[in-house]
Amino acid sequence: MKALEALNRMPAWARYMIYALIGILVLTVVESFESGDVSRLTADTASRAMLKWSVPILLAGLGGLYSERAGVVNIGLEGMMILGTWFGAWGALEWGPTAGIIIGMAGGAIGGLIHAIATVGFGVDHIISGVAINIMAPGATTFLSSEVFGNRTQSPNVPGVGQFTMPVLAGGDIFGLETPDILGSIADQEIFYLSDIANFSRGLMSEMSLFTVMALALVPITAWAVWRTRFGLRLRIAGEAPYAGESLGVDIIKRKYQGVIISGALAGLAGASISMELADFYQEGQTQGRGFIGLAALIFGNWKPQGILAAALLFGYPFGVSLRDLDGSSTHALLLVVALGLAAVAVWAWTRNAKSDVILAGSFSLGMFVWYLLSDTAPDWLPNTMPYVIVLLVLVFAAQRLRMPAADGLVYRKGGS
Amino acid sequence: MRNKWKLLLALLAIFSLVAAACGDDDDDTSTGDDSGETETDEGGEEEGAEDEAPEEEGDMEEEGDMEEEDSEGESEGDMEEEATGEGLGEGFNVGLTFDLLGRGDQSFNDSAAAGIDRAKEDFGVNVSEITPVDASARGTDLQLQAENADLVIGVGFSFAADAATVAAENPDVKFAIIDDSMMDFDAGEPIAPNAAGLVFSEEQGSYLVGVAAALKTTTNKVGFIGGMAGIGLIEKFEAGFEAGAKSINPDIEIVSQYITEFPDFAGFEAPDRAKEIASAMYEEGADIIYAAAGLSGSGMFQAAAETTEATGTKVWGIGVDSDQYLTVDPAVQEYVLTSMLKRVDNAVYLVTEAVANGTFVAGETRYDLASGGVGYSTSGGFIDDITDQIDAAADDIISGAVEVPTTPGG
Repeated sequence: MKALEALNRMPAWARYMIYALIGILVLTVVESFESGDVSRLTADTASRAMLKWSVPILLAGLGGLYSERAGVVNIGLEGMMILGTWFGAWGALEWGPTAGIIIGMAGGAIGGLIHAIATVGFGVDHIISGVAINIMAPGATTFLSSEVFGNRTQSPNVPGVGQFTMPVLAGGDIFGLETPDILGSIADQEIFYLSDIANFSRGLMSEMSLFTVMALALVPITAWAVWRTRFGLRLRIAGEAPYAGESLGVDIIKRKYQGVIISGALAGLAGASISMELADFYQEGQTQGRGFIGLAALIFGNWKPQGILAAALLFGYPFGVSLRDLDGSSTHALLLVVALGLAAVAVWAWTRNAKSDVILAGSFSLGMFVWYLLSDTAPDWLPNTMPYVIVLLVLVFAAQRLRMPAADGLVYRKGGS
Repeated sequence: MRNKWKLLLALLAIFSLVAAACGDDDDDTSTGDDSGETETDEGGEEEGAEDEAPEEEGDMEEEGDMEEEDSEGESEGDMEEEATGEGLGEGFNVGLTFDLLGRGDQSFNDSAAAGIDRAKEDFGVNVSEITPVDASARGTDLQLQAENADLVIGVGFSFAADAATVAAENPDVKFAIIDDSMMDFDAGEPIAPNAAGLVFSEEQGSYLVGVAAALKTTTNKVGFIGGMAGIGLIEKFEAGFEAGAKSINPDIEIVSQYITEFPDFAGFEAPDRAKEIASAMYEEGADIIYAAAGLSGSGMFQAAAETTEATGTKVWGIGVDSDQYLTVDPAVQEYVLTSMLKRVDNAVYLVTEAVANGTFVAGETRYDLASGGVGYSTSGGFIDDITDQIDAAADDIISGAVEVPTTPGG
């Protein structure tokens, strides 16, 4: 109990670091139960895949944050991402990768602008406008694609963006000079847990695409911009108490427009990261619902950037690991991880005297554990469903702790109340 | 002033909505236009043909009679072997209903499109094409086609269930579904007397590329990526590939991974996921991967290019359905070892020919190695040194000396 209180007093970054270390410990232990000699759960390839597959979700989630903090529900994230996939690929094909990133963001921002005009300008229901964008965006990209690429479903190959490897720690270059690979050498020692930490962190720092670097940088930038600047304060007023803000002379309409357009730009960046980095070309329907998962990450992350990052990594991990899991052992091991996680939830609920939660989490945990014992491999659909299962669990067990902006989703009319 | 701006923006927003909607429609109508054009093009020919018109019309009437006879025939229950009467000759209507994505997918649909383009030239048929915008409207699309067409072709097994219903409602229209046998296996007869199922022996073609992979690998480890597990279709590819590779080297190691499971069709259009899987396979020592995953396959070739650049050792991918050497991006062309060919174009062409000649047969029509329905490609010349051995394997299959399994793990 004291340990928990101490944990709660720690600064947020230290707390998250401890969670991550506990997570890696769990993975290391679980891994040692699996037959097979390859340590895939804590391998650098696993953490690299996790990061790579979280990037679109993280960017979409951050996009959602700017919009919802300004009080506009953005269910059109998916559509704005789709615009980003096409515009990013088109820009990269015409003028190179950097232009692709910028034009991809601009494409998403157009979607954001339409959403802002509809919801803020005309007071259209946010959900209706968002759904309209989700329907309109694929139509628009299909049309543009057939006009520009001469092929309605696919673009030619897109030039990729550069990669970045952290110098000194993971052996990256500084202006062409080779540096030591400290984490790599620790990983090679094969010390229990320590090498796993080193290897896992090395995966997070090596061969990062430019999109990954940008997405990770946007987490502290967002935290600073929305909570530590004048712009952020006014943005949040628009989402919490717009009429109070208005009475103090804040231009709520302007803030809402800014929030939703930034939201669209980030969703566009998320889309560009899919078409330019993950797939290397634009293709119809390649977002595959990741805008909605980004929205789920936003809710899971309690409308905060560090929470969204945690959610995105949590969603990306099982997905990335299972794709690389050629013999089915890693996915199988994840069953045990989920069982342990649910057991932890049960214990946590116990300390809060929430009896029904204890029973619910405990029985799910037991079920997972039995499943783990009785099977050799887990089905392929499991990792795909994990984001939804995790969100459901969070909504079941922690819904009281989630707090959305007070005026989120409400139509604001200037001079009204 | 402010209101004027709002009005302008509103109009702009409305216009962009309309434009976007048109974008989609435009595309559909443009394919419609195509057929419209061909109609006018063919108009000349048809007029020419109308000189012999009396006979033709007679044929048409007879055809109507024949349909009645057909339904009598149906009660006798021996429809399967019996061709359904006289042909429609030239210039009848064909409704081609693509699978999702339609023309331009560089794979399955394009192959069907190539077949119908050929048929258009040879038999002067009028083609109307539909690309479904979403998976739920398949029955409606088929019904729409059936109202004008004499032959409705559904590209993809996902049309099978709807086709059975629509075929029963439109007894005068013939239906052909690719990748589904359209057979009622319990009764041992076709589901409908006017529905043909065009199926392929993919395992035989996959066997041949398996042979090629086993002969070309230097690491004795090859990979297989399947689009979607769970319905037994893609498993046939895996089974053939595995059997072919093991026929050359019984000790060869084969790693296999499916992108999604039924009913999640995303695995056929997820090149990003295929790229991740392929990179993992290459990292673990496989140097040739065969992807039977539709559009996703291009992700594998991308991974092959990146792995080769990163490690300096050449790794390969094997394409599927069409000759992917010709369809992939030029940048990754040199990584396409060979492709398993599934001649959907031949099937589409032949079924159109069958309707023209009156040799249409309901139920299953199988296109295998012997009938040229499957095969392998040599574009790029990467396997020119081993074509003798592959052809020998092909001869063994055709002669029946080798029987290729249809479920993996044999």
